[in-house]
Amino acid sequence: MDSEDDMHDADDLDSLDDQFYSGYAALGSDDGDEYDFVDNVSDGAEESTSHRQQQNYTILSDADIRLRQEEDISRISTVLSILRSEACILLRHYNWSVSRVHDEWFANEDHVRKVVGLLENSSEMQRTRELTCGICFENYPRDRMTSAACGHPFCHTCWRGYISTSISDGPGCLMLRCPDPSCGAAVGQDMIDLLATHEDKEKYSRYLLRSYIEDNRKTKWCPAPGCEFAVEYIIGSGSFDVCCNCSYGFCWNCTEEAHRPVDCDTVAKWILKNSAESENMNWILANSKPCPKCKRPIEKNQGCMHITCTPPCKFEFCWLCLGSWSEHGERTGGFYACNRYDAAKQEGAYDESERRREMAKNSLERYTHYYERWATNQSSRQKALSDLHSMQNEKFLLFQLEKLSDQQSQPESQLKFIIEAWLQIVECRRVLKWTYAYGFYLPEHEHAKRQFFEYLQGEAESGLERLHQCAEKELQIYLDAQIPMNDFNDFRTKLAGLTSVTRNYFENLVRALETGLKDVGSSNNQATCSKSSSSKSLGSKAKGGKSKATGNSSKSAGPSRSMDDSNLWSCDHCTYANPKSTRTCQMCEHHR
Amino acid sequence: MSTPARKRLMRDFKRLQQDPPAGISGAPHDNNIMLWNAVIFGPDDTPWDGGEATVVVLGTAVAEGGELPPKASPLLEVVRLMPASRLGGTFKLTLQFTEDYPNKPPTVRFVSRMFHPNIYADGSICLDILQNQWSPIYDVAAILTSIQSLLCDPNPNSPANSEAARMFSENKREYNRKVREIVEQSWTAD
Repeated sequence: MDSEDDMHDADDLDSLDDQFYSGYAALGSDDGDEYDFVDNVSDGAEESTSHRQQQNYTILSDADIRLRQEEDISRISTVLSILRSEACILLRHYNWSVSRVHDEWFANEDHVRKVVGLLENSSEMQRTRELTCGICFENYPRDRMTSAACGHPFCHTCWRGYISTSISDGPGCLMLRCPDPSCGAAVGQDMIDLLATHEDKEKYSRYLLRSYIEDNRKTKWCPAPGCEFAVEYIIGSGSFDVCCNCSYGFCWNCTEEAHRPVDCDTVAKWILKNSAESENMNWILANSKPCPKCKRPIEKNQGCMHITCTPPCKFEFCWLCLGSWSEHGERTGGFYACNRYDAAKQEGAYDESERRREMAKNSLERYTHYYERWATNQSSRQKALSDLHSMQNEKFLLFQLEKLSDQQSQPESQLKFIIEAWLQIVECRRVLKWTYAYGFYLPEHEHAKRQFFEYLQGEAESGLERLHQCAEKELQIYLDAQIPMNDFNDFRTKLAGLTSVTRNYFENLVRALETGLKDVGSSNNQATCSKSSSSKSLGSKAKGGKSKATGNSSKSAGPSRSMDDSNLWSCDHCTYANPKSTRTCQMCEHHR
Repeated sequence: MSTPARKRLMRDFKRLQQDPPAGISGAPHDNNIMLWNAVIFGPDDTPWDGGEATVVVLGTAVAEGGELPPKASPLLEVVRLMPASRLGGTFKLTLQFTEDYPNKPPTVRFVSRMFHPNIYADGSICLDILQNQWSPIYDVAAILTSIQSLLCDPNPNSPANSEAARMFSENKREYNRKVREIVEQSWTAD
């Protein structure tokens, strides 16, 4: 019964995953939610935080969790007229869903009792003065023996050992049954409290608490290290982004760091790729050749073609043709125009490995391009975050005090624009970072989409760079020296203006990505598209000033990469993107 | 020195001696009660029991309950004492216990060469009560009895020996022939 339900719920989640988030809120209002900040600046934002919480998700502290758990148990216990320990076992069995327990119980109480191990009528142990323990086979007086509701007697020592073993085996202890294999009577927390050691009782209660969050489909622990909060999320309420009280923002669906507007699948693939050994392999393929004798990969670091492998191999060979050096020289007519190489190439002997090496190199270069930018934006964001925090702590307060002492007509909220600018920068860096991951997985042949995407990305990025520079460098000037008020007002206008302009660009970008770039047609536009460099110039020259737009369009790939298939599949082994027509990976020969 | 595990093992041994189930015997090592040797005889009326056999010793046929020539091996002594004149497979096992007994099962391995869908090449046994379905109520007699009934009641769905499992499902005759082979081998091995 359980498994059916599991399937059903899993389907729900999957279908939501495929949808793009509806009701996406404007970027600006997000900034306020994400971080704990100094009270004097946070008024409007705090309201929006609690508003968001009511809508979408709730943060639960340790005390909240306990309270809810107790309430649920009490409710079931009262409605079904059973003991609290029995209610607890029942709830745990049905993943803490009160409604499910009600449904199942009233549908078929006997079946439920049997499955869960709650006997209808509890039997007592035999009424003799002495009983034999079923585990150690010793005889003890009746009062030193205990049984579960089934009446099978065991001595206290054996119970303690049994429970202890079960608890140290892990959360399975929550489903503990009578030691007798033919009997399924459940052993609940009341018996644990009676018979177990103090440590074991603690462990058991800790497992019970964890189970309340982990087994319940609606709740998850916050993935931030050291954070004790849990998040309850109402499935079906739009965006998966939640923000914990510890100020860590994450995607509830995949529990990775918040990655709007890119979807969870892409994120998972990207993270895998970053960590995979595949890149090492690709690098080795692209930049090294195996020694003909011992097969170890060799990277050429000098000009000469005469290679000597390291001991113990010490084989000498020609880098170009991988032939033994002793056979080289006069017969093959020299090193750089290694005749044997040309002849062999004509015969087609080296084509396969050369082609693979070529492809690996291209693939690697392309990946490096995107990864570099993803990583740079990541570190840039970290720096911006720390700047923000320092701003909120010491320097900012000092600054405020300075300014206030100068001018009475300068209320604190006037300086809110600086905080807003930094929050905007942090959020935009995050979005920009994930758009690089998106760009990597955008199919090569979708030229129109790619152009559009890179155009939007370029606009957004150039805006962000200007904003970041202004906030970083120009603010520094005002912090260090005494500047007249007029200039400061100008600065404020400029910074606020940049903030809202950047926000617009990013909203455009995010909206476009979330609709899958539907505004642009797919591969049927190929005839009209030109090389990506034209969109490059469009993006960078339209706005003056420093811009990094040149960095974000992909280089056109080598001729070996032109693919007409509309689908690519990603190899499980090395994550190389292969055309659909192939059944084995072109890079590592792994079967699909 | 007497831990709950050891006490319980002594109990098991006593029980095994006083009330031995059919076709099963076992005893701990002299100096180590945590390590046991056991022998399981193939269940009657199965290919594992080897069918009727006449015991031939040094060219002389020996009747049931009859006189044994001198220098007979201990195995023949066992044979003489057995009520039936059948000579089934005698399969040797070791059981390694820990201080967690009886809350944790022992590690049981066949020493004799076996051909069975649920027995690995190294002699380990794939049996539920020895893993997740273990209960502290089971004792040595119960373990050995379960293994004995596993012999003629394999579970081809969790094959440890894929060849045996396949043969069992597809070619019973061949399977039985192989079983008889290892039964015969078990007599000679020591």
